[in-house]
Amino acid sequence: MSKARFQEKRILTTGNYACAEGAITAGCLYFAGYPITPSSEIAAYMSRRLPQVNGTFIQMEDELASITSCFGASYAGMKAMTATSGPGFSLMAESIGLGVMLEAPAVIVTIMRGGPSTGQPTNASQSDVYQTRYASHGDYEIIVLAPSTVQEMYDLTIRAFNLSEKYRIPVIVASDGILGQMMEVVNIHSNIELVERKKPQVPPEKYKPFEAFDDDLVPGMAIAGTNYSFYVTGLTHDIEGNPEMTPEAAEVLIKRLCEKIRKARPQINDWEEKHLDDANIVILAYGINARGVPEVVEQARQKGYKVGLVRLKSLWPFPDELMERIGQMGASKVIVCEMNNGMIIREVQRFRHLFMVSGITIPTTIPFSPKFIYEKLMKEV
Amino acid sequence: MTRYEVRISGFGGQGVITLSKMIITASSLYENLAATQTEAYSASARGGRCWAEVVVDLDKEIKIINYPKALKPYDFLIILSEESANLIKPEDIKKDENTGYLIWDPSTIKKFRAVRRIEKALSIPVQILAVENFGNIVFGNSILFGAFTILSGFISEESAIETIKNFVPSSTLDKNLEAFELGKKEAQEFLKQLKEGKD
Repeated sequence: MSKARFQEKRILTTGNYACAEGAITAGCLYFAGYPITPSSEIAAYMSRRLPQVNGTFIQMEDELASITSCFGASYAGMKAMTATSGPGFSLMAESIGLGVMLEAPAVIVTIMRGGPSTGQPTNASQSDVYQTRYASHGDYEIIVLAPSTVQEMYDLTIRAFNLSEKYRIPVIVASDGILGQMMEVVNIHSNIELVERKKPQVPPEKYKPFEAFDDDLVPGMAIAGTNYSFYVTGLTHDIEGNPEMTPEAAEVLIKRLCEKIRKARPQINDWEEKHLDDANIVILAYGINARGVPEVVEQARQKGYKVGLVRLKSLWPFPDELMERIGQMGASKVIVCEMNNGMIIREVQRFRHLFMVSGITIPTTIPFSPKFIYEKLMKEV
Repeated sequence: MTRYEVRISGFGGQGVITLSKMIITASSLYENLAATQTEAYSASARGGRCWAEVVVDLDKEIKIINYPKALKPYDFLIILSEESANLIKPEDIKKDENTGYLIWDPSTIKKFRAVRRIEKALSIPVQILAVENFGNIVFGNSILFGAFTILSGFISEESAIETIKNFVPSSTLDKNLEAFELGKKEAQEFLKQLKEGKD
């Protein structure tokens, strides 16, 4: 981990630009993408900004090429990013699994719009929450962060790079059409922690690209074209990277790929909470849709209702420990608010032995207003 | 509640979005108030029905606007097209003291049914004034910004001028500042009339 020094400043900018600037701050030197509403401004900004820091911007022929070339750049030692929206993310789906298999750090930003299919390109939604988790085939874990403010578009993009470097996995920043386009002030801090990937821990002649020596199960990563020669593949492979088609090889590899993320949940999971200590009802929300909730909680508490708030800043891996804690602290009900037909609510429902679960889950394009949430809440208390 | 809800609507190309950006720049960067701006996207911003919203919190202690979109009833409405005017109801705007202002442009709106039932409605023929005085409709933005600065009352003259400097090419700065003054004057006259009406 290194601390990088930046000039402190306040800038007024949009979510998409803040995300792109966050990437530059994190040390991103490669962007490959294909424009799609409402994410195009990220690519546009990177096309101007990357050459200024000696980085590379390529507008690719499509999203399939965008994502795979990011993994290539990653193996060449660069921090790489691509940005898209639902339909483009669908095209990247197969290769997200490749990124997991190759253990290639990269950041994928998805600015969620209305779907399915072409849907509502210029509007927002949270309907791709499952897509971020389950896009690719195969058994895998992934990290997904959910910013809620323009400031977090900046902060969590930096965090996405840090997590992807640390755990050698593609990390997804799941934002939406409103947050991407809206303007707010962003404070650029002077001290920012940046994480660089683990280097090979042995000399070239002893190097095996998927041999993990540490408890975190993350192997050291060699850069292609250096003295370290190695082979990587999307096929199931052994620690040397060679394809191996035995049942044992599948078990060993998939268990490690999943376990390195599962066991890091305490370090990955991130949320904001309020009034949980005495809350009887907890409202759980994330992303742009969480922004109506704080006012509702305060309003309800003024009326004497013991209402608490949880805002998830990371969606996947799902924070099971947080749910258990909510149960232990005595809440009797969790109300999940999301701009889709019910996705995160199904994760919360796994904890129905601890509390009741209800939801305000509507596949709409506008975040729930405080008045709307309050009215729904009053039917639950 | 110290939220100040602003909505501007008209059609694409009138400067609806630019004006909203001027308002958030002055409020957040120069007045240090928490603010958010959202806008119509894509084709609607290029000739179709266009809107932009700014929410400002007038309490300096507040660091973030929670709900980012402007909520009805609004504190300030700027209506620049007949299509948008048709959607306005008198109850969409606040009736409290020192707030609930509507500015509309009679040079682009022939018929504005709700306007008779809105107490603090100021009509400024923005497009005509801009063309007659400054030779181009783009100066309409600075006229509106001047009127907004006076009526809203939370942007200092200094902040407003710095904002204009940020937004206009330096070769047109003087003309824009004149347009800003013109808008200010319209609003000051209007406030005087409102006060006299009450007395």
